[in-house]
Amino acid sequence: MAHRILIIDDEDDIREVAAMSLETVAGWEVMVANSGAQGLTRAATYKPDAILLDVMMPGMDGPSTFRELRKNPVTAKIPVLFLTAKVQATDRRRFADLGIHAVLVKPFDPMTLSTQIANALGWK
Amino acid sequence: MGIADQSALAEAMNRLWAQFRPQIEERIAILESAAVALSQGALSAAQCEEACAAAHNLAGVLGTFGLEEGTVRAREAEAFYANGHALAVPRTGQPTAIAADLRAILSTRKTV
Repeated sequence: MAHRILIIDDEDDIREVAAMSLETVAGWEVMVANSGAQGLTRAATYKPDAILLDVMMPGMDGPSTFRELRKNPVTAKIPVLFLTAKVQATDRRRFADLGIHAVLVKPFDPMTLSTQIANALGWK
Repeated sequence: MGIADQSALAEAMNRLWAQFRPQIEERIAILESAAVALSQGALSAAQCEEACAAAHNLAGVLGTFGLEEGTVRAREAEAFYANGHALAVPRTGQPTAIAADLRAILSTRKTV
């Protein structure tokens, strides 16, 4: 089954590599958004199986975007994984308290990104 | 994943590397400019913030393209510019060396 993923990241290089990786390696359907605001709209219309969300973005950052996703009944139950280049133990605890399903670290291996996501979400 | 799929992934990564290398080089140029300004005691807060953001992006992207050493050096640059002390005194050395290393690391990526 082809999972449907929404990637929200302001950095186009990271966004494109992640999208290509999930499409090529796992055969998943990928939608992208370049900001938290655009991500909220696309999540509501696209209703993905999971969202890969960058933490540090200008304007609405990852945690703010996540809180907005949770406020909307349409997107409230979609699993969200943070993608970040900078994560410390305190960040992980803070993100877990928010209700984030998992934190994936940049740089990622394009060969195994889909496996990391699938494992984090319990997908077979 | 089969060999054909691995080949497709490698080919796609090469295409994306060619596409994004210019903007990766622009980010290194930001670090080079910041290092020069720093050595002259003329690094502005805005330039420091820009260098920190450039380093953050490089830390995330270089390893994804197989340049793990680039990620290590970019993280050092990010930590340096995230520290307010960077603005306090003129200095050379570390930031200049990191920018030069990053420029050199780019050329080591082999097309698979």
